[in-house]
Amino acid sequence: MAELLQFLVAGLKNGSIYALVALGFTIVFAATGAINFAQGEFFMLGGMLGVFFSGLGLPLPLAAVAAVAATAAIGAAFELLAVRPIGGGDPLRIIMVTIGGAVVLRQLALHLFGPDERALAPFTQGESLKVFGAAIERQTVWIWALTALAVVALALLYRRTTFGRAMRATSIRRDAARLVGINASAMVTASFALAAALGAVGGLVVAPLTQTAFSVGAGMGVKGFAAAVLGGLGNPIAAVGGGLILGLLESLTAGYVDPVYKDAVAFVVLLAVLFLRPKGLLGGSGRTKV
Amino acid sequence: MRSVTKRFGGLTAVDDVSFDVFEGTIKALIGPNGAGKSTLFNALTGFDRPDHGSVVFNGMELIGRRPRDTVRAGLARTFQNTQLFDELTAAENVMVGDQAHRRRGFSAAMLRLPAAVSEDREARAEAGRLLRLIGIEEWADAPAADLPAGIRRLVEIARALATRPRLLLLDEPAAGLNATEGHELVQTLFRVRDAGITVVIVEHDMGLVMDVSDEIVVLDRGRKIAEGPPRMIQKDPSVIAAYLGGEADEHA
Amino acid sequence: MATRTLRALAPAIAAVGVALIPLLVTDRFVLKIFTFAGINALVVIGLALLFGYAGQVSLGHAAFVGLGAYACAFCTVELGWPWPLAFAAAGALAALGGLALALPSLRLKGHYLAMATLAFGQLMTLAFVEAEPVTGGVDGFGGIPFPALGPLEVRDAASLYWLVWAVVGIAVLALFNVTSLRPGRAMRALHGSELGAQACGVDVTGVKVRTFVVSALLAGLAGALYASVVGFVSPSLFTLTASVGFLAMAVLGGTGSLAGPIAAAVLLTLVQYVDALIPGIPRGTAQAVQSYQEDIYGLAIVLVVIFAPRGLASMWRRRARGGEAS
Repeated sequence: MAELLQFLVAGLKNGSIYALVALGFTIVFAATGAINFAQGEFFMLGGMLGVFFSGLGLPLPLAAVAAVAATAAIGAAFELLAVRPIGGGDPLRIIMVTIGGAVVLRQLALHLFGPDERALAPFTQGESLKVFGAAIERQTVWIWALTALAVVALALLYRRTTFGRAMRATSIRRDAARLVGINASAMVTASFALAAALGAVGGLVVAPLTQTAFSVGAGMGVKGFAAAVLGGLGNPIAAVGGGLILGLLESLTAGYVDPVYKDAVAFVVLLAVLFLRPKGLLGGSGRTKV
Repeated sequence: MRSVTKRFGGLTAVDDVSFDVFEGTIKALIGPNGAGKSTLFNALTGFDRPDHGSVVFNGMELIGRRPRDTVRAGLARTFQNTQLFDELTAAENVMVGDQAHRRRGFSAAMLRLPAAVSEDREARAEAGRLLRLIGIEEWADAPAADLPAGIRRLVEIARALATRPRLLLLDEPAAGLNATEGHELVQTLFRVRDAGITVVIVEHDMGLVMDVSDEIVVLDRGRKIAEGPPRMIQKDPSVIAAYLGGEADEHA
Repeated sequence: MATRTLRALAPAIAAVGVALIPLLVTDRFVLKIFTFAGINALVVIGLALLFGYAGQVSLGHAAFVGLGAYACAFCTVELGWPWPLAFAAAGALAALGGLALALPSLRLKGHYLAMATLAFGQLMTLAFVEAEPVTGGVDGFGGIPFPALGPLEVRDAASLYWLVWAVVGIAVLALFNVTSLRPGRAMRALHGSELGAQACGVDVTGVKVRTFVVSALLAGLAGALYASVVGFVSPSLFTLTASVGFLAMAVLGGTGSLAGPIAAAVLLTLVQYVDALIPGIPRGTAQAVQSYQEDIYGLAIVLVVIFAPRGLASMWRRRARGGEAS
């Protein structure tokens, strides 16, 4: 029983991270109709920049905020430099440019920060909490808290602020939004920045537990995308749900089948969803056909 | 077609529309914007599936078939937003239409078998012939991306004709054409009809519609409100009301 | 006029040039580099068919190369099959893999295929490591024999070079035929407008699947050649990095052409081994170039996609068209 609980805790922990990355995919997809293959790299940058700023001597909270802000800025710059020049046209080109851009970001991290794994200090020191026989690390609580905070903040942003409403309008009908005076291109940039920020939060908050390195982006990107598709691309709630479910599936597989297959779960889930139910569990953004 | 109904969410785009099209005639579908005309085309040609209704063509039920099958059955269509293959030349665009009725032959092509090569030559000749029919053969070797808007529409029509249809569905063929080109189009449509092909066009240009159609169907907000020869439609009060009461300006 | 005949003769000239290289290059290692270039080119022309003609992205092509490599290794070493049979089996297995992946994924929009290929590639990398009894796991699979056509074993560097480039040549011929005739037009049509292609009766899914399978087949054959030339394969060869590299070559090479991607493949392969090729190069520069290899891939993709979406091929075409008014 305690063992099961432990697996559930682990699953929800990883699942929260996947949820954040999945949200990033969803936001950009909603704004552009394309998949941002660099989303995983934003996750990586969150952790790496956190280590960097903390290494500069900044106290952890400040370093964290700086890391997220910096990644958001990189996300915006990425959109301006790589995606905007493509214009609306061929979605194939957007895919290609984000693939290439992801490689560039990854290499940049490699050249700036080196190939080694880096560790970040846990946000609060202390013993793991014992709940019903399962050990919950304090950092895990931070993960849940920050994820929940991010989701709530996002929901508020979308529903209550004019900015958020503008973003929603742009994602539904870009030309109509433009008619109403919304600067569609700025909305796209903003969505990249937001997606980057979310990915960065994920990378930052999990870094104390898993260590971070320049190469973690690709794997996380695929997992985050699998989570997003599992829930249903285009739907933020579905993204969170998908993330949590994926996390649980992984951890249960690792626990009850074989830890070796843990990473394979995301790939299998992705392929299964694409083949069997492309719209995801909650039905996504509509038709994939004509 | 009978009782064709298509809903989008809460919006009934096409509501219980029925009409017949007689072979060897030109029929026009008109109506204010948003009347559901393109939706109807999509339903007819397999690009969309209506919620209800049936379309019988040549003894065959069309609803629910894939676009590829409707083409094989003898239906061809053009799009409101011209869907040309920009990477290919005008002639090559038409050639793609021609291959609708050819056998598969990937391996034959790979080995450059004589059958594949001669088939290609025939397709090229046919493309030339169709472009001449429409009067745009001088654009044959121009990349489709470089063509002016009016010519693009005509190339799409040529391409549709290359599929050897018995029924041709044209979605706003006159949009973007000037007066001379419009006149050419009318002549082309007559030639098409005289070749034995039935034509259904969706159009806003009233002058063209009046000149070319044998019969007109009027849609308003998804419903059929009138059907008959041009002269009758011109005088029909409900049609006049629909146009005046609805959208502001219909004339290009 | 003269340029016209030159352009028609260019493939023949290139073929002769390629054939002559072993006679001009005496260093075995350098010759091996050119052989690798040929193997990469084989993968890339398949990818060019998929990307440059049909407009589909694959991020997992290294997996098909791996499938072919391990299949060839297994068939020759464990099953004792004659090389030509193992070679064919490698292609067949890769093609089957391609079919299995393509059939379900190609019903969906382009970016779903890209992600599915990514997931497939990652899955295969894991499989290559885990399927130890078959693949030898992390330690790799060694002792793969040289190619043998009947009693004739192909051992020396020059013969291996010619074998690889002969396969490339046959593939280029076959693909050129395909692209210049109806199937090629169908591919380019569906890249241009899927709606339009459907309206012309093109079997859109069928074309996509067929194109994908052919590209997987070529990648598998390339893998078999690699295994036979080097004699040893390991999972670290068939990773996402490799897939991105192939894609970069295809993107750089350009759309609508086979020559461009081949040139790009050769170029980027040579860059990898720059220190062996330019003897006088200082160690520092050589190392720098090699460590920036992936940056080159990434930047190449980004820059080409933004500024010259049709790649090298289109820039060449534009120059050739020269003074023609549009």
